[in-house]
Parts: sequence; structure tokens; C-alpha cells
Amino acid sequence: MTSEETTQQQAVYDPRGEAEVDLVPLSTRPKSLLHLRLAVLDNTKWNAGKLLRKTMSKLDEEFSFESINYYKKESFSKVASAPLLAEIAEHNDIAITAIGD
Amino acid sequence: MAPTAKKKVALKNTVPSDIDLVEWYYEQGFSDGLPVVPPTPGKIAAMLKELGDVTESAVCRVPPRWGTLTTEVLAINLVMAGCKPEYARVVRAALVALTDNAFNLNGVQATTHMASPLLVVNGPVRGEIGMNSGYNTFGSGNRANATIGRAVRMVLLNVGGAWPGDLDKSTLGSPAKYAYCIAENEEESPFVPYHVDKGFDSSESTVFAMAAEPPHSITNHVADDPEGVLESVCSAMSTFAHNNAVSGGHCAIVLGPEHAKTISSKGWSRSDTRNFLWMHSGNRFGDIAFNHRYGKIYNRNLPKWYKRGIEDRIPIVSSPDHIHLFVAGGEAGRFSAFIPGWGHMTNPVLRSISGLPAATTATLCDDEACQY
Repeated sequence: MTSEETTQQQAVYDPRGEAEVDLVPLSTRPKSLLHLRLAVLDNTKWNAGKLLRKTMSKLDEEFSFESINYYKKESFSKVASAPLLAEIAEHNDIAITAIGD
Repeated sequence: MAPTAKKKVALKNTVPSDIDLVEWYYEQGFSDGLPVVPPTPGKIAAMLKELGDVTESAVCRVPPRWGTLTTEVLAINLVMAGCKPEYARVVRAALVALTDNAFNLNGVQATTHMASPLLVVNGPVRGEIGMNSGYNTFGSGNRANATIGRAVRMVLLNVGGAWPGDLDKSTLGSPAKYAYCIAENEEESPFVPYHVDKGFDSSESTVFAMAAEPPHSITNHVADDPEGVLESVCSAMSTFAHNNAVSGGHCAIVLGPEHAKTISSKGWSRSDTRNFLWMHSGNRFGDIAFNHRYGKIYNRNLPKWYKRGIEDRIPIVSSPDHIHLFVAGGEAGRFSAFIPGWGHMTNPVLRSISGLPAATTATLCDDEACQY
């Protein structure tokens, strides 16, 4: 067998296509949670709601939030709308959400 | 504006000729679990010819990975799935339908539910490419049905990134996640074809896409009238275990030709049939709310105009128009199928295969299947 024969090549293909993604940096984290304005984003799932309400209550006992604002997504199956996210960002310092099925 | 990261993928590469390509594609993670057909320049070129020879044009972006499906990437996946070139236009139309915003493919791909896109093809293309709309239509044995369905799944995996446990979080999945594509048996149906009923010309070919569970069998060997046959269909629909019962949305019924002919023999139309099914299926609200023993349930996934008293009837879907009725299967056998959908989170899309107008966000999709 010649060296040419041993180096023969065959084509292979990547079936994934290119993915373009927006890089979103993390928000600056507050040094303390005391007396902040808390946003709670409910994804509308039954169990997520229970988890969120309990978490909200526990956190409030510890950090005495200035306010707690409760928001609901349109549907658990869709991303939160841009206007809703803008409203949360404008009126709150921190936000929590939960994923529960 | 946030910076954009573009992950460049080398579409074509080379490996030594003694490499087993079937195994190579497995090793790269580019398979649905079954062996793929290794693409070659000639096979890809044949696909591209069918698709218009435009390699770079984007067909759509596929969530949740949001990979860009160019015509060339589509051609690669078509070859890998085992498609003949003449199937390419059906697969392309299906993928454009699935990536319509109304379908919410992002949710369908990522959900813990077992939903998978069901495709039903209508029109002359069925015969042109040899689809099976008769015996065992949901089953194995026909290249067009199997590889069209498989090619769609390959794109959902490879381009959409819906790998099990990664971006596909389905608790159980279903066999329909390999391939889920049938054709309506227009020749044996006593009704006008589904797409004609929806306003398309019979000379046009269409693909209907709905996020769906696998088919649930309905048997009735006794009834010789529409009411009797359809009472069995209503029985299959009226459980509170599937997503339609607790979340509305759309569902499909596939009548076997014998059942369809029994129904039609008394002068019932497709519309009469859907209306009967809507009116006589459903559940007590108390049943879907577990009689409130786990806490007071309102269920905001159902329409706000439903009464929610314990004894109030909750329809399976909110309108007869949300019951999509097809006729398919072999001419012998008194069987039909109920196919629950994913729920209110998705809308079916009905799309022309031949015309391929640009994908748009439909505005009239909430109450009917979106149509283009």
C-alpha cells in the first residue's frame, strides 16, 4: 500500500448549523438583601407557586424587604415578555423565580 | 446592545477513508440513536437541487439551541435521515410550520411532557412520493413516512439541540420522537380532505403540524350509526389524565375508514362529527380539580369563561374547531385514534408545501389552526 493510499480522506459533515446567541452579563449582586425591593416572578406552575410563596415568606422574615411585588408570566411555557421584565427591573432591586412542575 | 457570539461550525471536514462513517456520526453525537446515512457530496447536491440550489439561505432558526437551519444544513440532515430528494419539500414545509411563533417549538422541545410534533400530509404530494395513508399508517414499513418524520426529528436534535436530558426535559418521551408523520387517506375518506375543509384547493399539498401525544386506540366493532362510533371516541377523550383535559388547546382524531364511512352513511359531515365530539366529551370540574383535596384549584390554564363548580362540565378543548379530524388507515378494521395535544401553550399550523410563502407570525391562530 502506498503512502498516498493510506492518507486518502473522505468528507464528513456537521449537521448542527450555526447558533447565534446574545451574551447577557450577570447583574451586579447586592452586598446585602436587607430592606430591598423584592420581585417575585411566578411561572404559573402549581408547585412553583407554592415554592415561591414559601421562599418569599422566609426571606421576608430574615431581610424585612421594603416591598414585595408579585408578578406572573403569561404562561409557564413562554419566556417572560419584554415589558414585564422591564417593569420588574424598574421597580425592584432583586428578583426570584422558581421552576417547579 | 448585547454582544453577539457566533459559534462558527465547519460544515465540511475530512477524516481518513478507513473510518467507519456510521460509527463516526454516532461518536459525534449526531444521531437519533439509529444509524444514519453518511452524507456524500453527491447526495447533498441532489437534495439541494430539490431545494432550489441555494445553500446559504436560512430556512428557519430552531429552538431551544436556536441553530440556523440553512438549506445546506437541511440537506445534510435529509441525507442522514435516509430521505429521497423528492421528500425534501415536505420536510422543509414542516420545519417552517414548526418554527412559526404560534407553534411555540421552544416550549414543545423543552417540556417535561411527552409531546412531539405530529405531521399529517394532504394533497397530491402523498401519491407523488409514495406515502402510506393506509394500513399501519402510524407504524413502520414506508420510507416516506418514516424518513420525513425522522428528518424533522434529526433537525430538532441537531439544529435545535433537543438532546434528552440536556435541552429536551421530557420525563418519558415517546416513540413519536423518532418519527411521527402520516398522510390522510383521502381516497378512502367519505369527507373532503382536511386541507380542503380548511380552504385549500385540492390540487395543493399541505402539511399539518400539531404538538401531540402518541395515538390512543379506539375500538368499536358494534355500532352501525354515528352516535355509537362517536360515543367510543368521546370515551377515549374523556379522561382527566391528558393535557387537553387540564390545559385545553387542540387535539386530533384519526378515524379509520370503516368508522368514517359508518358516520358518513347517515349523512353526517366532518363538522357534524366534530360538533358531536365536542358536545359529548369532557369531564366534571370536580374530577380535574381532585375535588379540591390538595387545595382550592381554579386552573388558570383553562378559559376564564368556563364555570368551575364541582359538577360543571369541562370540555376537552374549548371549541369544536380545536378538534382536528382526519381519516387514515386501512380500509378494513373498526378502529380509530384519539391524539391529545400538548395544551393551550401551542397552536397547530397548517402550511402549503408547494407555495412556501415566507414564514410570518400568525395573528389569527388562537382559535383555529394557523394557515398559510
